[in-house]
Amino acid sequence: MRDSLHKLESLVVRDRAFLFTLASYVAVLAIYVNLIMLKSLVLGSIATILFFLINSIFLGNGIFKKEDALFRFVFGVLLFVMLLGSLNWVALITYNLDISKSTLALLAAATISSALNRTVNR
Amino acid sequence: MRSETVTSKRLLRASEIFYLFLVGLSFYLLIISRAGEAHTVWEVLNPIFMPVLFVAASILTVILLVSDEEVRVKLIFVIIYSILAHSFFSIIFLGGDLSGQQTMLGRSRLVDENAVLYGVFDPGETTSTIYDWFRGENFQAALTVALARMLSIDLMWVHLFLVPVLWGVFTSIAAYLTTLAVTKNERASILASVLISAFPYATYFGAISVPNSIGFIFFFYSLYFILRYLSSNERKIVILTLIFCFFSFLTHYLAGVMSFSFLILAIAFKSFTTQNEKSAISKSSIVVSFILSVVLLPLSLIYLRYFRPSIQTAFTFEKISQLPLQEAAGLLLLGELTYVSNPLTVFLVIAGPIIGVVGIVYLLRYVRRNPLTESRVIVLFLSAAFLTVITDYRILKLFMEEIPFSAERLWIFRDLVVVPFVAMATFLAFTSLKSFVRKSFASPLNDVGLRNLPKVSFRRVSGLLLTMNVLFSVALGGWLTLSLTAAYPQVAPLQTTSYELDAVEFIDKTTSEKYVAIGDIWTIFAAERIVGNRNPRAYYFGEYKKIGFDFFANMTQDPSTTWMDQAMDYTNTTVAYFIVTQPRLGVEVFNNVVHKTIENGLPIYGPQQGFGDGKLYVFYHRR
Repeated sequence: MRDSLHKLESLVVRDRAFLFTLASYVAVLAIYVNLIMLKSLVLGSIATILFFLINSIFLGNGIFKKEDALFRFVFGVLLFVMLLGSLNWVALITYNLDISKSTLALLAAATISSALNRTVNR
Repeated sequence: MRSETVTSKRLLRASEIFYLFLVGLSFYLLIISRAGEAHTVWEVLNPIFMPVLFVAASILTVILLVSDEEVRVKLIFVIIYSILAHSFFSIIFLGGDLSGQQTMLGRSRLVDENAVLYGVFDPGETTSTIYDWFRGENFQAALTVALARMLSIDLMWVHLFLVPVLWGVFTSIAAYLTTLAVTKNERASILASVLISAFPYATYFGAISVPNSIGFIFFFYSLYFILRYLSSNERKIVILTLIFCFFSFLTHYLAGVMSFSFLILAIAFKSFTTQNEKSAISKSSIVVSFILSVVLLPLSLIYLRYFRPSIQTAFTFEKISQLPLQEAAGLLLLGELTYVSNPLTVFLVIAGPIIGVVGIVYLLRYVRRNPLTESRVIVLFLSAAFLTVITDYRILKLFMEEIPFSAERLWIFRDLVVVPFVAMATFLAFTSLKSFVRKSFASPLNDVGLRNLPKVSFRRVSGLLLTMNVLFSVALGGWLTLSLTAAYPQVAPLQTTSYELDAVEFIDKTTSEKYVAIGDIWTIFAAERIVGNRNPRAYYFGEYKKIGFDFFANMTQDPSTTWMDQAMDYTNTTVAYFIVTQPRLGVEVFNNVVHKTIENGLPIYGPQQGFGDGKLYVFYHRR
């Protein structure tokens, strides 16, 4: 379990040719399309899990590099929930939280996480 | 030796599988207990649920205390248990608990439907836009709506399980990390992660999705990072501490104020420990910061009136002076528990804090004898933090009036602060028993081994080992399970029923125009699950809106189109509905109202025999 988490994390944080950042954007696109057209719980769940997994690992690596792998991931998830909540909160209090603003908030969250991961890797 | 290891590993795997099976069975039993008409969870809970949960909790504590399983696996087991223990309302009741949980769902619905601009707030309630922004409803609604849209699932499901899942995952881990920072003991820390579910009031707040519950989670992490700040000089830790304090505030001002008051205390402790010479001034700075951290909450409540004029919190001596001495002493010692008649509930609520105080005394004595101990400052700080919370509770309870929430919410801060000490004290009791057995039977065990002991000695040793490893775990499992009986209310109003939800949903699906519905507060709660309240498209009056109550009262006394026309004028709608429910009004009044309404010519909407076999009728009037 420790090894598999570690392997997955190493793969994601390397983010070669922005592969995982792009995967994260694709997940956002899938969420958006699903939201306005398909409305499938299965597709939504897969895209959400992928989106959360990648960005939580990015954030965990970006901020808690010295922590144990499990807690790095847990802190990453918690910080990502906070980031997601706060970006959507900003959209809400500045006007409203419609579908396009929700999607923009997801894109912003993915970009911030990826940038933090990159900063640390550099 | 090798075969013993293999056997114990097999035994561990078997108990883990059995534990997972029991937890799965418990979830199943909860699901089949889901009821369309219930007052409390206890009324409809499957009778074998609690025994199954008790066995699961006991096995879990055996795994945590005795086995050499990896910490991460143990944590996953604890998280699963914690989610289960906090999901009663969300699984059993159709719309969650009839409380702030449903109110908050109504607010989030408005955000999801874009029915509100610039956040959710009660019109005319506040004087400051900035204050409105920072109300926890906005953060929670934004997060819930975002997650629901991501998953493409109805908002209600995300709302109902948001806090039980976040609480189950993150408070368990925070309890582990905080205890590890205090005790440096992994087993005591893992025990803390499950013992946090033995505090009834904390369990209740972990089961309802309200902003304060999310605030408690962030508060717990701010507490953890404050402990890290005390023992490290990393700039990153300071920033993270501030971030978590800010998020505590963003989700609920109570959690935010408590986080910042602990931060003030921590800064004083940190500066005191870094000084080489402890002067009188530096010692007094600790006292001053303690006083400051105590008064921060009461003072912030006083100043809240500048943002929300409806809040008129003030200091008072009237309460204490008017109370009989016995009652005042009871409130001072036990707080609100002094009015609780069930001694078991009182015991379950105070058991944790009392064990915690024992742990605090033990650790304070320990650090006094060993002043160079690494966690000395952490133990001292947490003891002061505990004192801050219990002092604040007494101030709010006895010397303040009209506080905007129940002072008992401070019990959760107390529980979160004290849980490392509870875990430490419990673990010490366990290890003391263990060392007692080892000492008593050291020589015969060393000489011949347990299996080769004479029959009588074998029985005695086995009996004691059983007492230690099994009965101790059974006792803890019993404590965890019993505490749920105090966490989930034994008495409650009738929760939102299936026919109330059916009626609201039917109206919403079959009405294309903007409409207003006149109903009692229970109907409003049901509406919050489907359309929210004050939704311009489907208008149900707010829970505290007097005009809404007046319309309903007038309709029950004189069911006519006059009131419905007035309601339509007030809400700028063209269709009005009037909803009456038999269990809410009582059979006699209900029959009378239905009879009069039909007599006055108002048509029945939906099934002519009513919803729920005639327990609910909807009447309508169109302009």
